[in-house]
Amino acid sequence: MPLLRSPSKEPLWKDEFSVFTSDERYVTRRQFTKFLTLASLGMFVGNLWILAKAYFTKAPSFPSVTVGEVGEIPVRGVKLFAYPTPQDHCILIRTGEEEYVAYSQKCTHLSCAVYFSAKEGRLECPCHQGFFSVRDGSVLQGPPSRPLPQITLERDGPRILAVGVKGS
Amino acid sequence: MQGYEFYVDPSRCIGCQSCVRACEECETHRGTSLINFDFIDRGGTTASAAYVCWHCEEPTCAMACPTDAIKKGDDGIVQSSLKPRCIGCSNCVLACPFGIPKIFPQYEQMMKCDMCYDRTSMGKRPMCATVCPSQALSYVRPEEIRGRREKPTNVFQFGNQKIVTRVHMMVPSKTDSVSMDVLDYMWEESYAAFAQPQ
Amino acid sequence: MSNLERSKRRYGLVAIDGAMALIIILLIIQIWLLSATLETFLAGHTGAVLPAAIFSGLVFFGCLTLDLFVTRVDQESRKP
Repeated sequence: MPLLRSPSKEPLWKDEFSVFTSDERYVTRRQFTKFLTLASLGMFVGNLWILAKAYFTKAPSFPSVTVGEVGEIPVRGVKLFAYPTPQDHCILIRTGEEEYVAYSQKCTHLSCAVYFSAKEGRLECPCHQGFFSVRDGSVLQGPPSRPLPQITLERDGPRILAVGVKGS
Repeated sequence: MQGYEFYVDPSRCIGCQSCVRACEECETHRGTSLINFDFIDRGGTTASAAYVCWHCEEPTCAMACPTDAIKKGDDGIVQSSLKPRCIGCSNCVLACPFGIPKIFPQYEQMMKCDMCYDRTSMGKRPMCATVCPSQALSYVRPEEIRGRREKPTNVFQFGNQKIVTRVHMMVPSKTDSVSMDVLDYMWEESYAAFAQPQ
Repeated sequence: MSNLERSKRRYGLVAIDGAMALIIILLIIQIWLLSATLETFLAGHTGAVLPAAIFSGLVFFGCLTLDLFVTRVDQESRKP
């Protein structure tokens, strides 16, 4: 760079394209080092970008949607619904008299639809035998690495509302 | 080789051309001799002289090359032109004060003596120095050359330009450097118009 | 080139080789840091993002220092 170059009796092109192989080695090494530093700068900028996204992205707000009525499904029964968008398929399970849980139906392995096995008392994925706990959606067995996202439910009188998604 | 230097003594040359044949033996340029062999005045005398590349400290051929094809290594040997880079422009042929580089139009390549780098880098002598019977071309230690009457020099004066080379030329013991004023070497009787008082 | 000059040149090259090796190690660390930060951020844990950015900056300035060192050695070697 002409800015940092100390005064030299040779013109720049003569130093850069030297006929002496020992000088050439300096040039190639210096250019490679500059390239590596540039790569380092690129990665630093990448980290700054992630930082910017973390600070300037608002927390997502979820709509409040009625998914069913109390008593609509039997104990250990299921109901399918879509939340928060029509493309996000979810499953509502009545695990007890007054206990309801809901999860996203997309298996965290390769997005097959999970179903509730009343016999085993767990959520199962038919594609690769991935099993999830019905209590908190954690992985019991199989290839999935992340737990099933849980849909936060609220009771509003006789209605069951879906108000948020946890851990998607 | 460490400690060995190349010495050229044209006065010892007997014109056998063993160096020319030996140079052809090199694997890298088999069949093409890269030694510069001259008859001084073919019509008037049998005198001959053989020269190798002088491997200058600041090689003019390398400085003149537009494609950066000629390189001088750490060991002081000026290599022949790099095959991927040489475009056969003859800049080096015109630039060299000694007239060493040769252009080969069929390959569009310049080739010149590289002190048999495949041999000297392995501890052997160059081909020409090995076969020269009169040792007009010799590759020996400086101590061995001191036995001769002539003394070696590696400084050449081309007008105002001083050229220092790696290969030594044997000159009369009272001479310090070889001066290459063209007029010094012309036959004044033949060219009366250019005759200069010495 | 005299023998003394040649040996000075060679030590300069050794210093540059060492600096380059250090830079490459720093770069590997930085690559890992970037990928790990991205993973945690996408998983929703935003707590690690700021320290990671600071550390990445420190690594970059380390690389920059070594690059300036290499440039300085390069220029010193050209001085007659």
